Amino acid sequence: MAEFLELNNISKFYGNIIALTGVTTTVNPGEVTCVLGDNGAGKSTFIKILAGVHQHDEGTLLMEGEDVRFNSPREALGRGIATVYQDLAMVPLMSVWRNFFLGSEPKTGMWPFRQIDIEGAKRIAKEEMGKMGIDIRDVEQPVGTLSGGERQSVAIARASYFGARVLILDEPTSALGVKQSGVVLRRIVEARDQGLAVIFITHNPNHAYPVGDRFVILNRGVSMGNWAKEELSQADLTQLMAGGAELEALQHELAQAGT
Amino acid sequence: MAEATTTNDSAASLPPVEDERLAHRGPVQQLLTRPEIGALIGAVGVWLLFWLVSETFGTAGGTANYLDVAATLGLMAVPVALLMIGGEFDLSSGSMTGATAVIVILLSSDTAELGGAGLSLHLAVPLSLAFALAIGWFNGTLVDKTSLPSFIVTLGTFFILIGAKLGFTKLFTNKVIAEGLDRSSGYEFWDNIFGARWVRNNHVWENEGWSNLWSSRDWAWSGLLIIGAVVLILGTMELAYARRERPILGGYLVSVFGAAVGAVGFIMLLNRDSTTSNWIFGAVTGAGVLVAVAGWCLARYQAAEREPVLSELDPRAGQYLIAGIVAIVGAVLIAMFMDSENADRLDFLIGTPGRAVLAIGIGATGVMAVLAALGRVSIGYPAIGAVVALVPGISYMVTVQGARAILFGGLAIAGVVLLSIAARRRGLAALFTLFTSVSVVGLAFFVRSEADSRKLRVELFTALLLIALILAASAVTRHIAARRSSAPPAPAHSPLARQIGLGLGLIAGLLSLIFELADSDGILYSIIMAAAKGGIVAFAVFALATLYRTLFTSDESVGRSLVFVGLGSVMLGISARLLFITNEELAVTRGQTRFGVGVMLFLAFAVLGAWVLARTQFGNWIFAVGGNKDASRSVGVPAARTKTTLFMLVSASAWVTGMVIAFRLNSVQADVGDGNEFRYIIVAVVGGCLLTGGYGSAIGAAIGAVIWGMITSGIGFATWNSNWRFLVLGALLLVAVLVNNYVRSQAEKVR
Repeated sequence: MAEFLELNNISKFYGNIIALTGVTTTVNPGEVTCVLGDNGAGKSTFIKILAGVHQHDEGTLLMEGEDVRFNSPREALGRGIATVYQDLAMVPLMSVWRNFFLGSEPKTGMWPFRQIDIEGAKRIAKEEMGKMGIDIRDVEQPVGTLSGGERQSVAIARASYFGARVLILDEPTSALGVKQSGVVLRRIVEARDQGLAVIFITHNPNHAYPVGDRFVILNRGVSMGNWAKEELSQADLTQLMAGGAELEALQHELAQAGT
Repeated sequence: MAEATTTNDSAASLPPVEDERLAHRGPVQQLLTRPEIGALIGAVGVWLLFWLVSETFGTAGGTANYLDVAATLGLMAVPVALLMIGGEFDLSSGSMTGATAVIVILLSSDTAELGGAGLSLHLAVPLSLAFALAIGWFNGTLVDKTSLPSFIVTLGTFFILIGAKLGFTKLFTNKVIAEGLDRSSGYEFWDNIFGARWVRNNHVWENEGWSNLWSSRDWAWSGLLIIGAVVLILGTMELAYARRERPILGGYLVSVFGAAVGAVGFIMLLNRDSTTSNWIFGAVTGAGVLVAVAGWCLARYQAAEREPVLSELDPRAGQYLIAGIVAIVGAVLIAMFMDSENADRLDFLIGTPGRAVLAIGIGATGVMAVLAALGRVSIGYPAIGAVVALVPGISYMVTVQGARAILFGGLAIAGVVLLSIAARRRGLAALFTLFTSVSVVGLAFFVRSEADSRKLRVELFTALLLIALILAASAVTRHIAARRSSAPPAPAHSPLARQIGLGLGLIAGLLSLIFELADSDGILYSIIMAAAKGGIVAFAVFALATLYRTLFTSDESVGRSLVFVGLGSVMLGISARLLFITNEELAVTRGQTRFGVGVMLFLAFAVLGAWVLARTQFGNWIFAVGGNKDASRSVGVPAARTKTTLFMLVSASAWVTGMVIAFRLNSVQADVGDGNEFRYIIVAVVGGCLLTGGYGSAIGAAIGAVIWGMITSGIGFATWNSNWRFLVLGALLLVAVLVNNYVRSQAEKVR
């Protein structure tokens, strides 16, 4: 059966630098595919290929069995691939509702007087956030005044409202505290249960393992493999991700996490 | 109607968008988070300053003068502000204004005499627009493709334009000035567009009393005022009451009767030509309209339960009521019996003993003040001493005329305050506001009868009447709103509004004191005048804060829009009175003032810019590309197109400005406009734009331009040495920016 989104040996080169080679994985609705890797492992390149910011140089990207290549973010969005970036793709000085609808503003009125349907936009933003279980305080407040978790929530709610079928989350938990990370992980599960295909990029196996159905590990631009959850325990995941050299430091970190 | 009730119902059933976790932010605090607030305060301050120091500044002539300066600046400042919000600069914008003007003249001038291509203006004008758009497109595309800072790219265009202007002008005309636009073909047509002016008399009321000259313009004026007031009342009714299912016929009859009386009064008003009859028939018209509206409301709207009448007030309130009435009656008696023409000093009343008391009082006050400062006695003692000194002091310094003013004003204000307290004691906030409104009317008439300067008399009178009208409307709304909501009524003024009001009042008072003292009729008179001016300013801010709160905390849109329309017509009516002129008036030989078409374009640009920015998708994109370009691109905003459009917008505006300049003078220097780009940027920053982009306001930039205009021409009006111009300009701009910063941070804190 054709997978919803299938990546075969995706590679990307910047001049003579190999940014990414041989990434193979599948993404399906109602599943969370985790992409793990340390800094500089090629995670960002991977996202940007899927989001249409960059184009892959080798390999094939199949969406519902069709070979695709996204030339711009708008094109990827058009196919239903929404990306929530690490910097959240938000404009901090703009209000929550303006950010929510940025790029796809609902409009009303005849042409010369065509304007944004502000009342409607505010109402929908508030409702959609409510559906995600977030009670936003005031949709007029600038996004810059929100906490990190709330910003993630706005971005995820926006993606699901605009009919995203694939939701790419770039390190959503990296800047967050323990409790807020938990909130974001819950959002990921909620998005999955709504039938979205989620690609969750992180460097924290402790966050990835509980929510993931499939794992891809990247190291220095090379794919280390592609596993389903049944094939892998959390310890394996940690081990694989760390590689040999960093193992000691990692054990230290784990000891801390265990206490 | 069904619509209205649905709106009301849904507004009642829906939970408010506000959240309980938010500290309540009053409308004034919300207002303070707006980017243009610093500029607004600055503009009011600058206007007050020059209004106080110069006779001509506040007249139509003065207004035309500074608006003209503001317009040529503001035409560019608004689009430049949009570009800055979009995160870019255009340093070529200043020289572009001159470039389009030079191009048009060079293209259209007659080749034989002056050099130039000899094209018809019908070709030359569109060609110059095409040129401007092309440069804008070039700037935008280059900035986008190379990712170079727009600063560098447009600096290049800037130098190219300067060089090209000079070179081509010299080449064609052998001078550094391009001239002779009025000899081109098609001049008439284009001059009507870019060189148009509209004329009004400068102070039609001079020598005659301003209500004497009743002409067709006044039809528009009074008509709009009446319509505005009626719509205002209907709006407040709509806000407050449900409509009756079956209208009461009697109410319509009353309404028709009132309308008839009003019409008769209006016709009489137009046919008589004396001040007295104007006032009488004005009152008849007003009463007729009031009856008509009341009848209409009676017919259409559900009556509510009655407010407790005055006789039901508790005893303490009754005492205040009586005291208030006594004070007002006393004020009226004083006004009737004291001679307003008598300019003699009052000291003949007190003689030597009085002077002794004065000296003792002053001495005692001084001693007590020292003791109080040392902490030996309470602060009350010097106060008593001051009062002892004050009574003979007043009679020593003040004239009969002045004493009349002081006593009348003081008693009238005291009376109104006492009445207001009486109303307040019963929680009748609406009545309180109504009293305030009445007191403003009184103040208006007081100013009209007492003030020395014609300017003060007329302008203040109009302004005070408007405030009174708004207050009265607000009283109705407030009354109704208090009845509708079970929640306790909100405090009348937010602390912040009070502080700003008092602060501005204090500044106005001090400034006016300084300038009044310069050519004084007596120190005390100056002090009173200063206090009055300061008080008026403070009061206006209070009143506006009250109005704002009353109007904007309710959700019902039908009534609200009616209220807006009403207010709009009232203001339009007053500006019709002040700005437009009829043929009859033109026939009278008086000083005339001309407003250039640039002023109108400028206002249009400001409104359009504000609308685009706040309400349209393009405006949203401007904020987005300036705030975070990559982020906005990734959610599908065409960032490159948005920025290029902005650059082209700036060039197109430069073309408009260039045309206005060219058709005003018919000749331009080759270097006209060079260096103005920094003014545009400064003005935009004063108006609240961030240099880093992503935040700002078009209206703010427009206000900034007006500030600039007021300062440059105000210094001339004030007959100050114009060498100080840039010093004052710099200082005031700095202050505006600081106020901007400070107020914004304060407002955020209160949140």
